[in-house]
Amino acid sequence: MTKIFKKLRSNKVILFLASLKIAVLGLLFLFILTFWGTIAQVQNGLFASQERYFSSFYFLAAGFIPFPGAQLVLWVLFVNLMCAFFTRIIFSSEKLGLIVVHLGLILFLVTAFVTLHVAKESHLTLREGESSNVSRSYADWEVAVWPATKAPTKTVLALDIKDIKVNKYLSFHELNLNFVVKEYYPNAQAFTSPRGAAGIKEKYLNASGINVLKPKPLDKEREKNVAGIILEQKGQLPVLLFGLEDEPTKIRVEDKEFFITLRHHRHPLPITVKLIDFMMDKHPGTEVARSFRSKVEIEHDGLRRETVISMNEPLRFKDYTFYQASYQIDAMGREGSTLAVVKNGGQLLPYIATFVTFFGLAYHFLVAAFKFQRRRK
Amino acid sequence: MKNKTIIIFLLTFLLIGSGWALAAEKKEPQQNPQLKNVQALRRIPILDEGRIKPLDTYARTILLQFSGKRTFDRKPAINWLAKIVFTPWETLEDKVFLINSPEIPAALNVAVEEHRRYSFSELEKGLAKLRELAVAANAIDQKERNVVEQEILRVYNNVNLYLNLRTAFSFTIAHPDFSIENSSVKAVLDFPNSRNHYSFLDIALNADQINEETQELQKKKSDVWSPDEKEFMRLLKNLYQWSLNSSDGGTGLTIMPSLNPDNEIWLSPWETARHNFSHPAIRQELGLIQKMADSYRSDSQLDFDIATKSLNLTISKRIPQTQTASYKRLPLEVLYNQNNLFLTSWIFYILTFFTFLFSLVWPRPILHKVGFTLLILGFIPHVLALIMRVVIMSRPPVTNLYETFIFVGVVSVLLSMLAEVFNKKWLGIVVGSICGFACLAIADKFSAEGDTLKMLVAVLNSNFWLSTHVLTITIGYAGCSVAGIMGHVYILQALFKRTKAEVLNSTYQFILGTLGFGLTAAFLGTMLGGIWADQSWGRFWGWDPKENGALLIVLWSAIIFHSKLGRLIKPLGVAVGAALGLIVVMWAWLGVNLLSIGLHSYGFTSGLVTNLGIYFICEVIFLTVSLIVLHKRGIHV
Repeated sequence: MTKIFKKLRSNKVILFLASLKIAVLGLLFLFILTFWGTIAQVQNGLFASQERYFSSFYFLAAGFIPFPGAQLVLWVLFVNLMCAFFTRIIFSSEKLGLIVVHLGLILFLVTAFVTLHVAKESHLTLREGESSNVSRSYADWEVAVWPATKAPTKTVLALDIKDIKVNKYLSFHELNLNFVVKEYYPNAQAFTSPRGAAGIKEKYLNASGINVLKPKPLDKEREKNVAGIILEQKGQLPVLLFGLEDEPTKIRVEDKEFFITLRHHRHPLPITVKLIDFMMDKHPGTEVARSFRSKVEIEHDGLRRETVISMNEPLRFKDYTFYQASYQIDAMGREGSTLAVVKNGGQLLPYIATFVTFFGLAYHFLVAAFKFQRRRK
Repeated sequence: MKNKTIIIFLLTFLLIGSGWALAAEKKEPQQNPQLKNVQALRRIPILDEGRIKPLDTYARTILLQFSGKRTFDRKPAINWLAKIVFTPWETLEDKVFLINSPEIPAALNVAVEEHRRYSFSELEKGLAKLRELAVAANAIDQKERNVVEQEILRVYNNVNLYLNLRTAFSFTIAHPDFSIENSSVKAVLDFPNSRNHYSFLDIALNADQINEETQELQKKKSDVWSPDEKEFMRLLKNLYQWSLNSSDGGTGLTIMPSLNPDNEIWLSPWETARHNFSHPAIRQELGLIQKMADSYRSDSQLDFDIATKSLNLTISKRIPQTQTASYKRLPLEVLYNQNNLFLTSWIFYILTFFTFLFSLVWPRPILHKVGFTLLILGFIPHVLALIMRVVIMSRPPVTNLYETFIFVGVVSVLLSMLAEVFNKKWLGIVVGSICGFACLAIADKFSAEGDTLKMLVAVLNSNFWLSTHVLTITIGYAGCSVAGIMGHVYILQALFKRTKAEVLNSTYQFILGTLGFGLTAAFLGTMLGGIWADQSWGRFWGWDPKENGALLIVLWSAIIFHSKLGRLIKPLGVAVGAALGLIVVMWAWLGVNLLSIGLHSYGFTSGLVTNLGIYFICEVIFLTVSLIVLHKRGIHV
């Protein structure tokens, strides 16, 4: 084992990768990216800036200069740190604090990786008295299909359309339903034009009477984009689906009828959540909210219990966490609550990383301070 | 009978009227001496912006909001408020409305005042135009409004609030509508024959009697009514008319708790009268307000004090249980308001710095002791005021931008004092006085926004996170700021040829120490912020501008330490890095808020952009010039 370490320590590539200059350069790039990505949010919004500066490996500054993205910089720093552990960082009681700090930082980088690939955010919006066991994505869309029967329960099949391409197939094999994507817009606007109006050539199947779908530039806020899609099927009128429709469109294939709709992606939850009461407290005599709370009943495996989800006090269940996020009051005065739902298996990681790094920093700082004081004496 | 009277009376309150606001104008011409000491009024509780505060704080806040000043006519704000509510006719010529944009008086056809402050009399003729402008400005999206449009809305709101306050106690003002010449009517109502002029309340308290006297009149034709009967009918009609028009009167001065002990919402005296006039406690309280007003107008100090204290006492008995703790802390808040402890600190910090300057020309060991003592004397009221704020609000010390400066000031001075204990070479004294002075000066600018003790929105309403994340991150700001100032000191010492190497080295060591402390706290604060975000919103890190700002501080400090470790920079480089770190701290602290985006974009202050820009340019020029000079001398980064 020690031989391997010795070999690694004398390896020139490893030594180069472990260099402090790379660490400083990496930190400088991260500094620049963080600043740049913050300023860019004013123009482009959070999501677009996040994608361009932080989640990317590289991007083109001013349209042609390649610049490293934060993901690449973090990978470089990770490699640099790992190599430093094999070469430069020598274990000693004096350096214990620094070693712990850097172990904590490695944990942070691991956390970032896990979160990027594991965490899923969605929301659950319920009016008082309603219950659900699925949450909705904020920005991802799916095409959902189910047989048009009067049965009390229904099986819904849904296909994610995030990476969908025009002229490709969209197939629900179990139902023997095959469509060809004729048009797809991640952000669209829909119109109903009178028949025979100029430019309106095609007829579509659509529950809301929409017959025109036009693309719109993507909004800064991802949640504000409304997708639209036109699907063709053999021997039938094309189906037009728009994200804001209330009713599904009925289609007939051979002798069977189905409902089809374009909706925000649904995530199944391990529990059924029922909103019993939404409570909002305001500071007396003002419109400033003091607290928001949702009294909910959760059901899992036939067992029910009541609990309250409030701001800063979420409900946790396995990998899922439910947060009080928003509320609505409809025209009838009925209150509704929106709970943000986050599924994240690595949720504890940043907590551990924070405390490991902090204790390392604090230990190192105190050791340095005592050493300084001793030297003065 | 009594119930019936009350029903009639309450019915009169049901309808909503307008144009009543200026009813007090039609008063009997009065020239009253004003009471000079309205000290007792300070402690009267008022529910404003969601919290129970003393009338003293309320008066200070609105005077600041109106005029941009903390006193009027060299008298405390409470005297000005007392003048508005008790003798509104004497405030018409008070130049209290600050209008910063000259375009507004020009549009209102009002001559532009040199001091930018206008009286109500001046603005009155342009009120219709002001309203028109305000409606147009209000229609514009808040973020799109320019400075003039914001100013129009501010002035319009202030004029409305002024009109509202003027009618707060108008039920206590004698008015021709309630004058009684007829002796027999006075006798029936048990009024003294020598007095002819009465207020709405004087008559309303006798509404039962008047009602009884007028009950039979419906059966008679009006032309056969006796003079007495006509007089009673006139009084009843006027009572009715005033009640109709009372709904928009004095709604701003919410000094009366609800009769329902579970209701936290307070009402103004007029609103209370409308809802609960029959209640003995309410009648008693309104009567006490009448006594306060009468004694104020007749300059009877003792009567005023007794009536005010009695009102305070009766109100205190009706305060809902959830609000009694706040009420009990009102005397402390009045004490806090009256003793401007921050000003005391500020003066001591200036004196400390001057002592240091003096020691440069007259270096004596005693001056070091004097300087350190002055710094401590500045620190004591500073920390005392901070503690008072914590007690008053029952929450951790930092909840808004203003408070970050107060708190960072305390921590910076504390760190500097600690540094001086070890350094003993003026470093801590100089840095402490600069930090204390600067933080309090900036905080003072922020306090111009109004009441600095504000209630919190739901997401911030968590004492646990406020005392962990917010405090640690601000301690981080303090550590890095102190290191930044020490960096400047190092550069100045290096520029000064006679500085000994030992002194330079000592400063360098302290830069490293404070920067290390700042990095540790900023790191913990940033990550605790992540944990709070994870607890509240479900994500640890969201690249929010404020999170990024804090990360920049951590990254910058890490860059300095790693560059030092890799021998990429020398002590001068560390000092310059720490000095530049101050820009990073300012960016995270204030600059991010100027972007007006993200979850932390509270507290935008106009003028901040210019000031930050000036600071940035000065800093860059200072560092560039210093580095060129030092480079020529062979001292490199």
